[in-house]
Formats: sequence, structure tokens, C-alpha cells
Amino acid sequence: MDLPLVVQLVVNGLSMGMIYVLLASGFNLILSTPKILFIAYGEFYMLGAFIFYGLAHELELPLVVALCLATLATAILGGVVYKLIFQRIKGHFLAMIVAAIGLMMLMAQGTMLVFGTHARGMPSIFTGMIIVGGIRIPVERAVLIIIALAVLVGLHLLLQRTNIGRAMRAVSFNADVAALQGVNSNRTCLLTMVVGCALAGFAGAIMTPVFAVSPGMGAITFLVLMVVMLGGIGSMVGAIVAGLVLGVTLSFGQYSVGGGVAQIIFFAVIAILIFFRPGGLLGQAMEEVPP
Amino acid sequence: MDKLWKKYRLNRINIRSGKLIGLVVLGVILVLVPWLVHSPYYMHLLIMVGIYAVLAMTFIFLLRTGLITLAIAAFWGIGAYSSALLTMRLDLSFWLALPLSAIITGIIGFCIGYIFVRSPGFAFIILTASLGMAIVHVFGTFDVFGGYLGITGIPAPDPILLPFLAPIKFSRVDKTAYYYLMLFLVLLVVLALRAFYSAWTGRAWRAIGLSPRLAESLGVNLFRYRLLAFVIASAAAGLMGSFYAHYMQSLVPGAFVVIKTIYAHIYAILGGIGFAISGPVIGAFIMTIVPELLRVVREFEPIFTGLFLILLVLFLPNGLLGLLSLRQRVERPSESIARVGRWIRDYLPTSRSEHENRK
Amino acid sequence: MSTILEVRQLSKYFGGLAAVSKLDLSVVDSEILGLIGPNGAGKTTLFNVIGGFFPPTSGRVTLDSRDITGLKAHQIAHLGISRTFQASTLFMKISVLDNVLTGYHMSYKTSIWKRLLRMPSALNEEEMLRQRAMEILGFMGLESLKDELAANLPHGHQRILGVCMALATNPKLLLLDEPVTGMNPEETQTMIDLIRQIRDRGVTIVVVEHNMRVVMNLCDRIVVLSYGQKIAEGLPEEIRDNKEVVEAYLGKEGAR
Repeated sequence: MDLPLVVQLVVNGLSMGMIYVLLASGFNLILSTPKILFIAYGEFYMLGAFIFYGLAHELELPLVVALCLATLATAILGGVVYKLIFQRIKGHFLAMIVAAIGLMMLMAQGTMLVFGTHARGMPSIFTGMIIVGGIRIPVERAVLIIIALAVLVGLHLLLQRTNIGRAMRAVSFNADVAALQGVNSNRTCLLTMVVGCALAGFAGAIMTPVFAVSPGMGAITFLVLMVVMLGGIGSMVGAIVAGLVLGVTLSFGQYSVGGGVAQIIFFAVIAILIFFRPGGLLGQAMEEVPP
Repeated sequence: MDKLWKKYRLNRINIRSGKLIGLVVLGVILVLVPWLVHSPYYMHLLIMVGIYAVLAMTFIFLLRTGLITLAIAAFWGIGAYSSALLTMRLDLSFWLALPLSAIITGIIGFCIGYIFVRSPGFAFIILTASLGMAIVHVFGTFDVFGGYLGITGIPAPDPILLPFLAPIKFSRVDKTAYYYLMLFLVLLVVLALRAFYSAWTGRAWRAIGLSPRLAESLGVNLFRYRLLAFVIASAAAGLMGSFYAHYMQSLVPGAFVVIKTIYAHIYAILGGIGFAISGPVIGAFIMTIVPELLRVVREFEPIFTGLFLILLVLFLPNGLLGLLSLRQRVERPSESIARVGRWIRDYLPTSRSEHENRK
Repeated sequence: MSTILEVRQLSKYFGGLAAVSKLDLSVVDSEILGLIGPNGAGKTTLFNVIGGFFPPTSGRVTLDSRDITGLKAHQIAHLGISRTFQASTLFMKISVLDNVLTGYHMSYKTSIWKRLLRMPSALNEEEMLRQRAMEILGFMGLESLKDELAANLPHGHQRILGVCMALATNPKLLLLDEPVTGMNPEETQTMIDLIRQIRDRGVTIVVVEHNMRVVMNLCDRIVVLSYGQKIAEGLPEEIRDNKEVVEAYLGKEGAR
């Protein structure tokens, strides 16, 4: 394979990879703090994409407005869902998983009913290429990567520097101790859910001009699970590494053997990896909690 | 004869117990079903109820050891495809393929479980979910499984030859033979599960389910017992998969999507996860038969299922049987059966009980 | 007098926090060793490490000269170390007798296949274990409650049940984590007597307790921990008069 092709595949992989990173980060957040295995996460991603598509393409609102509204919508929906459903079944892991599955089915089918089953495309916002030494990189993918990186940095700052972020981390380690420190566990979990779902909607929105939108998009949850497993449950750094690895791997895989097989191979690799490190590459084994 | 009796403590079984009589009556009713139900369509539903009930049982079984699995449909599929290939490529008889499939699925379950079970809670769920999703791709990608179009023309089970009676043929038109085979397999699984549970392994499993830390401090090897449960659950699912393959006589990968595992979950939760055997049966029965009786529109199915799941989990966490239990102290289905049995024993002519004693 | 358990340079870090730091400890055969210290001193963490619930960050643990560092909890149970837990950790939804029977898990020798076939050897063994369970319940005074659900027992009895289960594993070394916390003086005295009787049966005991009277009364030797390090070790009288120990507690008598 010649260099331009390789670079193109890598850039493709990185751009999709950043999406995985954003999604995995949000998923990790929801997994760590409110401790929900949020199987319906992919549906929020899809919802963000559809709303953005509807606002930006059909209603022709300004892009930034559409982006904000899409993100806001998923954020609010996430909060509502948490308040109505998950807050009531806090602590019952099976119940939460089942509820998440039910939500997933509801949202997937609902979107399909409202929007139909066919994929929608949207004209690219940034056309044009960056040409570096004979290698062509589409501008829109570069922009995607940069925007995603910016949001990621913002997330990091949120978690490390703000009070809310600290509260989120505290509750993820030990909710009871955090409560003793004055952290309102319910409110923190609600906010975490909001932020997580906002991330999903945002990711869906920004990828819409670059890739297509379809009701089956929710299936990305499978890949997000893989990323989280690979990078380690709850590990933000792991999510970054694993997300990018997945993106690039699938990019090359799609080119050579086709998407389905690439996924299987990835799954097999992860299974073998888990054999040697049950918590994932960088995650702490969640069961290592003092009795 | 008497010595044999004592050696195996058979005389400990109280023949006059209400529970036994009740179970016998239940058994009789189940056996008579084909004479009462004439529509092949309803027979089909009952057969599917049986299959799903077993799958739901494996879910609860694993849940009791602290494992939430999303791979039930995957092992069901592995059993189904194994059996299809064994009979079609290796020309084995169904009656050989059936146990072999269960064993093969058990072995695969061991290999997969060896990797999965070591992982802590959430990781295990994610891994089984991934397996559940990936297995459909595996079945669809490789030609040996017939690709996404699947396998057709799977042979029906060979007719059973009994002395003095006409051979029992398995036909899709008259599903009677399939029905009895299903009953037999369900009974087999139930007895096997109960046997394991009454043994010391059952005590260990129960301990793991109630308090894993405490169980560990008493010397229970969590990994080994959970792996054992995983293997048994896989083999059971594989067994039903084999039956399914030769009943439907065709397989598509899409039959084993993760949502089928979710169905198993629903049946188990609807029945009540506190009831390992009767719960799944009731849940499967209600979810399969009732929509048919009410002619619910099928198009909207996933939405309603999704909504139903959420409502179920919010308002009926103990399932239907759990709800009934709360109202009248703790009357479990086995107690109800026992009660009915006692009523029969006490109010019918004594010659009946004597008849049973002479056994 | 031989050393049954030895802990050498043991450290356990959680993230950046040292719960236990370079601890050296010896437990003598058939003694009752008290382990005291203010909250957060690392006592329960030490129990968890010895018990195999998590591996130490560094250091070694030896049982009868055999290195058991890093072994998992069930393996350590098989080697003869048993423990109770701070909270009432019991199998709540089953009966008292079933709780103790579960403790005999390691003693059950008959293979599973024989049990599935209901062979006499399997059933006899179960009967024997049942009798031994009743013996322990009798020894600890709980035999009349054998069919009661563990969750229904009063707190004091639950603690005693916890000790019964630990005893069922036939341990060489018993780690008791706050056995009399939450008990009234009567129950406390019962527990003290029981612990002495257990020791007389040949079991070495390490007790973590906050109740100073119990500790002084019961223990042959005492080790004091503070912030994960050993700050004093010796006979009860020596510890009582030790200035550093008093300071560590900051005047809290600790008697509950």
C-alpha cells in the first residue's frame, strides 16, 4: 500500500476514532458515577444526529445553533430519563440494565417510525482538501478531529478542575463517603447523566455531515462496549487509546476484509486480551473494593 | 427389593404427599394437551414457550451466581447450528446429534467462560453482550453456516421405533411428537438443575449468590463454581438449540440476535426471578400466548416491548409470581401444587391413593 | 512457642494512600492477639490482605513458614485462616443451620456425581456434617435457633453466628473483626468466654476491637496500629501505660 492511501486510512480511522473516544468517555462517565450500564447510549448518539440533521439540513438553521440544540436536546432527555426511571431503581443493577435495554428498544423503534428506515446524507460543510506533501486529507475530517479534541479537553477540565467534576469522581469511587463529604449523590448522578448524554448527542451531531445518518446508528453501542472493555472500565485515558485504536483498525479492516469480519477479529482480540487482564488494559478491576 | 429400597432411601419419598400428587396431576394435564389443543398454531406456540422457558431458566440460574448474561441466544444458536451441521454434514442421527450438540455447546461454553467469568461484574456483561452481537456475524459470514441466508432442509428427528407400537414420526403438520419431545427435554433440564442444586454445589451457588465475599472466606472458589454454572447453562441452551433446529428445519443467523436473549430476560423477570423454575414458565407462557389471544398488533412490537420492560422493572420488580406471593404470605407455585394435590388426595375415593402406594 | 503467622514489611496502597505501611507482625501459636488502633489505622485492611481479599502492594505473609502472599481468599481459607467481618456478613435469607452448614464447604469430600446419584456415602456425610454443625451451634448457644432465618436474629446472635461459620471451617488461625461491637455487656461477656474456649480448642486468634476493657481482659498480647504503622507492641499492662498509644487515640477511651 502506498503512503497516501495509508495516511488516508489512518486519518479516516482517527476521525471515526475520535467519535468512539467521545462516546466511550461519556459511556464511562455514566458507568462510573451513576453505575448504569447504559445500553441505550447509542440511541442518544443517533438522536443527536437526527436532530442536527433535521435542524441544519431541513430547517436550515445555522450550524452552530443546530449543534447546540441537538446537544441540548439529548442532554435534557438524558436527565429526564434518569429522573423518571433510573433514579428510582438505583442500586438494582439488573433492573437498570433491563430498563436500559427497554429504553434502547423504545428509542430505536420510535426513531424508525418517525424518520423512516432509510439513511440520510447531508452535504459536507467543509469541502476541500489539505494537501501536505502529496497526501490529501479532507478538511472536514480534520475539523472533526479538532472539534472532538477540544470537547475532550473540555471534559478533562470539567472533571479535574471544577467542583462538579470532583463530585462526579468522588461518587464514582464511593458514593457513601462522598455523601459524607457533602456531595449530593442524586444530583451528581443526574448531572453525570446529562453530561454523558450530551456527549453522545454532540458526537452524533458532528459526525452527521461527514458520515451518513441512519436509524440503525444506535448499534454503535456494540463498538462502544468494545472500546470500554479494551481501554478498561472507567478509564478515561483507556477510552482515548482504545477508541483511536478501534477507529484505525476498523478503517484498515473495512478496506481489506470488510466491516463485519473486522468486528469479529476485534472482538476475538479483545477476548484474548481480557484473558490476560480481566479489567481491560488500563481499567481497575471494579471488584477490588475493600470488604 | 426391600434392601434396595433402604439403600437408596427411596422410602423417604412420601408417596402420599400432596406435592407429589399435585405434580402428577400437572403432568397428566401436560401430557393430555395435544388432545385438548387441536390447532397446530397453538401447538407451535406451546413448543416455543417450552424452549424459551428453558432459556429463561438458564438466565435465572446464572443470575443466582452473580452473573448477568446477555449471551443466552448465542449458545442457543451454537447448539442449533452444531446440531444442523452434525446431521447434515456428518450424517449423524438426530438422536445422537442432540446430546452431542449439548456437549459441544458445553465445551464451547467452558472455553468462552474460562475467559469471561474471570472478569468482574460489568465486564462480564459487556463481554457476553459482545459475544451475543458478534455470534450473529459469525453465523452470517462463514459459508459453512450458510451465510446470512442460513441453512434449510434440516432433517426432522428420526422416527422412534417402539416395540408393538407404530413408529413415532416427527412431522411439522402434526406437532404432537415434537411437543412431547419438548416436554421431555424441559423435564430433563429441570431435573438436572434441581439435582445440581440439591447437591453441595447448590449450596455453594446459593452462597455465592447471597454473599460472594463471605462464600470466598469459607473456601468457595468463586471462579470454579461460576464457570460450572456457565457451562451448564450453555449446555442447556445448546440442547434446546438442537431441538429448535430440527423443529424449525431451517436456521437463519437472525434468529439468534441479542434481542432473543432479552426476551428470555423478560420472561424470567415477568415470572419473578425469585422463582427459578416456575417463573420462566409462567413468564414465557404469558408473553407468548396472551398477545396471540389478544391479537396485539405485531408491527409495534419492539416499542411496546421496550415500554413494557421499563414499566415492568419500575412497578413489578418481583414479577407476577412475586406479586401473588406478597398477598398471601409466601405461597410459591410448588405450594399451590401441593395444596391442590392434598385436596385431591383427601376428597377422592381412597382406592386411588392405594393404587399409588402399590407402585 | 512457635510463630504461626508472620507478616513482613507489608504495605498496601490504595491509589496514593497507604492503608498499611511496612508492617511487621508475628502471631504466636495458640495466643489471643489484640489489634487495636484508631479508625483508619489499617486494621481491617490488614485482615483483608491476610485473608486474601486483595494482594499487598509489597511485603510478605507467611503461615507456618509457608509463603501465602497474594493467594486468593478461598485458597487461604483452605490453608486454615478464617475470619469474621465487621458488618453482619451472613447469608441472610437462609436459616442459621444452613449458614453454618455452608461453612463446612471445605470439609465435604464426596464427589458431586455420587451426590447426584444419592448414594449412601454422600448422604451419610451430609448427615455427619449436619451433626457437627449442630455441635457448633450448641457450643455457641444457638442450637434452639437453628431454623430461624439469619436476618431475623438479634444483632448479638448474628455476630455469634458469624463466629460459628468461621469455626466450621476448622481454622488454625481465626481473625475476628470487632466481635463485640454493638453488644450489651451480657452478650459481650458471653462472647469473651466463647473466644477463650475457642482458643482452648487449639485455635490461634487475632482480635480487632475498640472495646478496651475487652481487649485488656482477653488478649495475651496487643499490637497497636496508627496510620498503617505499628506504634506499639506488648503485654496489655505495657500498652495501657504507653504514652504514644494514648496520644494516638487522642484521649478517646474507645469503650463502647
